[in-house]
Amino acid sequence: MPQRTHNSPSPRPARIGAWLSARGDQVLVLVLLLAIWQGLSLAFGTYWIGSPWGVAARLAGGVASGEILRHASYTLFEAAAGFVIGALPAVALPFALRRRPILTAILDPFMMGGYGAPKLALAPLFILWFGIGMQSKIALVAITIFFIVYFSAQAGVRSLDPGLVQMAQVMGANERDVARHIVLPGAVPYIFTGLRIALPYSIGGAVIAELISANRGLGYLIQLAAMNFDTTGVFAALTVTTCIVFSGNWALNAVDRRLLRWRPRDLDIQAVS
Amino acid sequence: MGGEPMLEVRSLSKRFAERAGRDPASWVIKDLSFVVDEGEFLTIVGPSGSGKTTLLNMLAQIDTASGGELRFQSQAARIDDPKSLKPGLSCNIGYVTQEDNLLPWRTTLQNVLFPLVVQRRLDAEARARAESLIRAVGLAGFENYYPHELSGGMRKRASLIRTLVYDPPVILMDEPFGALDAQTRAQLQDDLLRLWSLGRKTIVFVTHDIVEAIALGDRTLVLSRSPASIVGEHANTIPRPRDIRDIMTHPQFAALYQRIRGQVQ
Repeated sequence: MPQRTHNSPSPRPARIGAWLSARGDQVLVLVLLLAIWQGLSLAFGTYWIGSPWGVAARLAGGVASGEILRHASYTLFEAAAGFVIGALPAVALPFALRRRPILTAILDPFMMGGYGAPKLALAPLFILWFGIGMQSKIALVAITIFFIVYFSAQAGVRSLDPGLVQMAQVMGANERDVARHIVLPGAVPYIFTGLRIALPYSIGGAVIAELISANRGLGYLIQLAAMNFDTTGVFAALTVTTCIVFSGNWALNAVDRRLLRWRPRDLDIQAVS
Repeated sequence: MGGEPMLEVRSLSKRFAERAGRDPASWVIKDLSFVVDEGEFLTIVGPSGSGKTTLLNMLAQIDTASGGELRFQSQAARIDDPKSLKPGLSCNIGYVTQEDNLLPWRTTLQNVLFPLVVQRRLDAEARARAESLIRAVGLAGFENYYPHELSGGMRKRASLIRTLVYDPPVILMDEPFGALDAQTRAQLQDDLLRLWSLGRKTIVFVTHDIVEAIALGDRTLVLSRSPASIVGEHANTIPRPRDIRDIMTHPQFAALYQRIRGQVQ
């Protein structure tokens, strides 16, 4: 008797129905938000709050001329490079420290301090050190991402079930087998949670560093538009930023679903229905 | 059943370290000795909290002993120092724990193959053996299911054959069927005896259930309350193959049960 209790899908049409109705509700909220935005824009005038329609037109123009894509690709590159440079050691370090409790204990308060310190306040310092080019933005993103991902990866490594490790050792697994077959797969859900939290910070970090000093990128566009009292331009750049975060999240979710097929899907189903 | 002694336990003792707010370290196991012969199915009964799991953990070398000796095939194993412990004694001692301890990110088949992967013995022959074991315990068709998609009984079966698949000479079992309903339990006991009769491994099976101890074992030891030591030994001559479901109606059963019952407090 198959007992796929957790995975047992409710009949397919019902699930698609739930999905559609959730999407429908989301569209409704979007329309409502746009209406409020339009209302505010009408009430205060497009000088203070650019209208949604104006923003859409500006985006279309910017995309057509390649201007927006050019700036967006700078920001995207900074965010992606910083994300990778920050996340890789953040994931590797807890694994390296797993069997070294004393070193972990020594490092812990410093890591906590780094986690707590307002990283965005480092932006001026990094610009001083690395110049106004991409390096300073990448550095800021990397350091922001590092601490977020480090603590989630560490939580993943610590969530390890000692029973599983003992079982594997009895069966002849060596240290490397344990790390590869037990610690790593067990930590993956935690690492992904950390990456998902870190993702918006990577775009945000890049944009904020660009706001402070840059001659290109979405942050630079926002800064430029604001100086020209062009609120439509500010909103257009912000919209692009949001879209980047959205697509990044979508990509992460896709990888995550692939890697975490072994988990019960109850949570996902609840999230949609 | 008698052959060479496979496993010898001599005055094994264990006490847990002292800790604030607890009585000064008390002995969990004291002066416990027994011998398991090759090919013997030994069952050990004891009340809950009598240190049964602690005993098996020491035999499996995932926990240290505070005193005593452990010999495997007449070779002494160092069990007093955590650093010199060799969990599973180089794959010579298999251990089926109370929890199934399946890896949640591996499918049934991948879980069963896991010991072979880490022992670098995964060849076509090993695969065939894994598949025949999967069929033998009725898991055919569930090879690609993840543990959370299986029932409790199925997980137990998977965890059992995961140890059988690499064929360790000694297998320790810690109430493996404890948390199952009566039907599934009888089915699994049946499966276990059937698989055992094919290979006649040496088995040390720990349980708090006297009926189970009689139904499965060639010999039954009785543990006292902690500090645990052996208070009784009962040879079991009920002939095999045995019918698990009707074991209680066997003429020898009642007397054996009475004798063991009298010693289990």
